[in-house]
Amino acid sequence: MIAIVDYGMGNVRSLRNAFEYLEEDVAVTSDPGELEAADRVVLPGVGAFGDAMVAIRERRLEAVLTRLALNVQKPMLGICLGMQLFARTSSEHGKHSGLGWIDADIRRLDVARPLKVPHVGWNELHFAADDWLFQGIRPEEANFYFVHSFHMACHHAADLIATTDYGGPVTAVVRSGNLVATQFHPEKSQDNGLKLLENWVQHAF
Amino acid sequence: MLKKRIVPKFLIRNGRLVKGVRFHNNFREAGNPVSTAKVYDAYGVDELLFVDIDATPQGRPATGSIIERVAEEVFMPFTVGGGITTLEQIAALLASGADKVCINSAAVADPGFITQAASRFGDQCIVVGIDYQRRDDGRQRVVSRCGTHPTDLDPLDWALRMQDAHAGEIMLCSIDRDGTMDGYDLDLIASAAQRLEVPLIASSGAGSLQHCRDALDAGASAITISSMFLFSDHSPIKVRTYLASNGVQVRSQRGSHS
Repeated sequence: MIAIVDYGMGNVRSLRNAFEYLEEDVAVTSDPGELEAADRVVLPGVGAFGDAMVAIRERRLEAVLTRLALNVQKPMLGICLGMQLFARTSSEHGKHSGLGWIDADIRRLDVARPLKVPHVGWNELHFAADDWLFQGIRPEEANFYFVHSFHMACHHAADLIATTDYGGPVTAVVRSGNLVATQFHPEKSQDNGLKLLENWVQHAF
Repeated sequence: MLKKRIVPKFLIRNGRLVKGVRFHNNFREAGNPVSTAKVYDAYGVDELLFVDIDATPQGRPATGSIIERVAEEVFMPFTVGGGITTLEQIAALLASGADKVCINSAAVADPGFITQAASRFGDQCIVVGIDYQRRDDGRQRVVSRCGTHPTDLDPLDWALRMQDAHAGEIMLCSIDRDGTMDGYDLDLIASAAQRLEVPLIASSGAGSLQHCRDALDAGASAITISSMFLFSDHSPIKVRTYLASNGVQVRSQRGSHS
């Protein structure tokens, strides 16, 4: 069973719809027992970093999620703001501490005109062609849907497995052991996104 | 490289798609929103925009049940507008599967609402729609409440103010061009795109492939298309192929599973 963490700040219905399309058993939950019981956990997120961390802490989810991520090493997928929460800190509207699972910091996109912020729309990924996460996705058609103003600056190059180009390379996918996270929205990226989710679901960590 | 977006705009009235001219006359029936969304998903369009045009006049928010059904059928981004006046309504639409909301009249009534909404849901969720019309004195002015409430606001000044209020995107819609298929308002699109730091969505007027290219070349990040898709033989595939062959960065991929 795949558990989608419900902390009041995610597009949980769209994610649930995508996993149901893939015929996966899925639950939207904030119950620690259900999270423990799940085979995989998805951390969604739409909104501001600081608010999201407050919402996670208010629901007393930080400790259980961190235990599952780092000690149990359950497969976990972070999406968009959910991805950014994996980082140590964010400078979005002040200085905030994150879950700290990935050695990275969240910073505002720093681009020059005519590029706009937020970075909204379809952009190509650059990745290693033999990576399991991208099997079945043609590199020349690897467009995914992004909508964000902040991005993840990784401190370990090995964690960074895909970038997109927006006034320079922008972190698109990070991975560290059992943790995978995407800045874009696979659940909104049509065929490519569904394929990436399917690859994640089928991968034995 | 970030792609320019082709966004079909769907007007919803009593649960059905409709399309009129200059907001008020000659509304024509244009189909079922959910099945039409599936068709456009199969075409691989980049985003969908739904506007419930009865919502503000009737004092209620956009229809959630249609949104839920769309989100079950298509795995692509979509924006919902019409009658949104509270944070709770935004939360409900996002929970239904919408990615962004488009706010228009409520921003005119209370600009602070945009700041509140952006701070709660993130700037990137909040699209501010700006409808405007040329007055008898030749000046273009913002008109709210689905084209019924004239204001003294200049559309470009208002767009910049909405950007300062933390709108994530600005959508400019010329009422005079709506449904005419005579082309986008290129002058305002060009000046707004140059001055805005957030993405600009050009809306209203598309009637030919050249019109689409002109609006994107003028600096729009996205174009909405309504009448041209509904009532002509121009499909999204044709638009994309034309744009790509004319050097506009668009998505090459056929997007969908359907």
